[in-house]
Amino acid sequence: MSSLLLALRLGRWGIAGFSALAFISTLAQTFAFYTIAGQTAAQQAAFGAAIGTLASHFTAILPPPIRPETVGGYVEWRGFHALGLIFGVWAFASATGMSRVDEERGVIEAILAAGTSRLELIAARVAAFTVGALVASLAATAGFVAGVLAHHDTLNSSGVVDELLLLAALAVCCYSIALLVAQVSSPRAATAAAGIVLLGLFLINSLSRTFSSLDTVRWLSPFRYYDLNQPLPPGGTFDARSVVVLLAIAILATVAAAVAFMMRDIGSALIKIPGLRHATRYDPSSAIWWRLPLVRELYDRRVALIAWSSGVAVLAAVFVSVVKSTIQPLLAVPALLPYFAAIVHGDIYPAVLGFVWFNFAQLLFAAFAITQVARWAADDTDGRLEIVLSQPRSRASVVVERLVTLTVGAAVIALASGIAVYYASQAQGIDLNRPRLAAASLMLVPFALVFASAGALLAAWKPRAAIGLLGVVAFASYLDTEVGPLLRWPLWVQDLSAFKLFGTPLSSGVDGRNLAIMLLVVTALIGSSILAMQRRDVGA
Amino acid sequence: MSPSFTAPYMLREMALAAIRTSRLTKDFGAHRGLFNLDLHVSPQEVFGYLGPNGSGKTTTIRLLMGMIRPTAGSAYIFGLDCVRESVEVKRKVGYLPGDVPQFGSLRGGEIVAYLGGMRGGVDKRNVRAIAERFDLDLSRRFREYSSGNKQKLAILLAFMHRPELLILDEPTSGLDPLNQQEFYALMGEARADGAAIFLSSHVLSEVERVCDRVGIVRSGTLVRVAQLEEMRQAGSTESLEQIFLSYFSEPKPKALNP
Repeated sequence: MSSLLLALRLGRWGIAGFSALAFISTLAQTFAFYTIAGQTAAQQAAFGAAIGTLASHFTAILPPPIRPETVGGYVEWRGFHALGLIFGVWAFASATGMSRVDEERGVIEAILAAGTSRLELIAARVAAFTVGALVASLAATAGFVAGVLAHHDTLNSSGVVDELLLLAALAVCCYSIALLVAQVSSPRAATAAAGIVLLGLFLINSLSRTFSSLDTVRWLSPFRYYDLNQPLPPGGTFDARSVVVLLAIAILATVAAAVAFMMRDIGSALIKIPGLRHATRYDPSSAIWWRLPLVRELYDRRVALIAWSSGVAVLAAVFVSVVKSTIQPLLAVPALLPYFAAIVHGDIYPAVLGFVWFNFAQLLFAAFAITQVARWAADDTDGRLEIVLSQPRSRASVVVERLVTLTVGAAVIALASGIAVYYASQAQGIDLNRPRLAAASLMLVPFALVFASAGALLAAWKPRAAIGLLGVVAFASYLDTEVGPLLRWPLWVQDLSAFKLFGTPLSSGVDGRNLAIMLLVVTALIGSSILAMQRRDVGA
Repeated sequence: MSPSFTAPYMLREMALAAIRTSRLTKDFGAHRGLFNLDLHVSPQEVFGYLGPNGSGKTTTIRLLMGMIRPTAGSAYIFGLDCVRESVEVKRKVGYLPGDVPQFGSLRGGEIVAYLGGMRGGVDKRNVRAIAERFDLDLSRRFREYSSGNKQKLAILLAFMHRPELLILDEPTSGLDPLNQQEFYALMGEARADGAAIFLSSHVLSEVERVCDRVGIVRSGTLVRVAQLEEMRQAGSTESLEQIFLSYFSEPKPKALNP
């Protein structure tokens, strides 16, 4: 019991944060539906048709909605399926954090030394995450229920309960899989390995909607069992066997993780690959890059940078190939042609590609910025910042070097993704405007810098809370652009969102005003970060 | 206090001192922190800083290193203000923190090159000499090091640039007796080369062996500074340990023990 309570305590901020995020997200989407869907059945049917068409652009990420003209169908698609992804990220971060970060910091060793068995430790962590996932899922459904009841609409109670169970089961399943991967791999590779496995499972399922060749393997993905169900809309689907399968995968993965944990040495991988024997050396590295500001930081991050660049480039190529195969069947439907004519100015493929890919790329670049901020915060808590500041360096130079490193890193990733989009579109026969593609790709750099500079300020102010707070900022920014126009928020409020300021540069070019606002915000945040860093206590 | 508002004779005195603090205070609230510290450490002096856990030793060291900002008072190293001239201060200082920083998968040699690069490069022969005498393999990754080897690396990082002042927070923590001897020898050589050393430690025999003077800090207040010989003569007992314990066997002052 004490192990469970400790695990809950260690994960309390994650539970609180994701519960709040889930509640606000579903509540906002529910309110957005009642604001924009119209009052009459005809208006709602037209709205549903428009959403159905919009959803067809996003099949690489989300499944097509069922009855989007109803509040259940709309929130299921906009709210709960996006939450499935977000809860997957939470499960991944929580599981790898438990298994490897706590292990590196000696927390696991201390718990085991206190008499807790390894089996008990794994069981406690999984149980604690299950409790957290149930609480967050409850919050998500509570947001939906509150929104529906506030509008005196009828509620599908059994659908709400089914949704709660489904979302929690998916989160626990993702957690157990990430936990298993982290137990098998080496500490250094645990986070990357678990991330690759979960992303791979997600892509197998989502891409199987476009590429029928993946149909035979999509049963491997837990996201498949989540997508099979849409219990909220009237006439929606729910198969209890999906929940059973998700829980069965979770139990199997947990048992396997426990066995791996019991069989391996603390601090080591289950399967050790014998490394090359190094001759003892007493000399420091003579590589020139360790002496060069910026270059040394980029070299230190080279593996992550290569992984990000190649990962984003592959995703970009996949998106390009999905766009054409998604749009072509829709163009064959005469009823949809007026719709496309209304929303697309110019060539349809670049417009859709710009909409779908750059929307997704924004999320990736925000995530990239957040991972870098996580590293800055860890520099503080792991004592690296203290030792760096014990060298003859100013605090301002530390902040500036961090942000310049991130800018160069983001530019490298943007370049890789831009090249991938260009060549993949050439292969697909999609004619893209090269200068616009270059500008749109480079626009991702100031976009990432907005989050990075906000993160720099938070890391300088409260390093231990920086990631949580930046997550809230990113979520608020995303929510602002998602529901701001629907709820008709004032333009200046919508302009606070970096997602909104990014615009649609591939189809309509870079908006100079928005870019100027972004750069202004970045400059103000960097200045504030330097001031905050200079005034704060380090290591206290 | 800043150099620009200080009388010229005081500036000379501060420049002569390796460390000089004046009413240095860091108040964390609830009677925690460091209060009104007046300290003077001369060049080539080895100063031992003693006190129980939470007494303010690490707070003092972090104030000297400019990691935390004083609530009041001032601190100077070789006449340089520890807050406003911290970059210049750190050119002269080698620092060994109480907790060894975590460098993950970087190799020892890369960490030395990385931090040495921030100083514009370090003398490789000196690095090699220190690594050899501690038998510290710089080709291994940091996370593969034992705690003792991590401490050896921290010692190497503090000594690698031949600083004029060494600020060491419990430097022998985790070292075996043989490496402790090697460390004392390294300290002796640094001192012979003209370096001053400010050493915080719990190991009284170590302080007794290597220090010229000691300061005893209790509940954030410096309660005694004296030459070791003088302390022994003034105390009723022989060893530093007994003198040290005599300061802490009394009940805490009322204000500190509500």
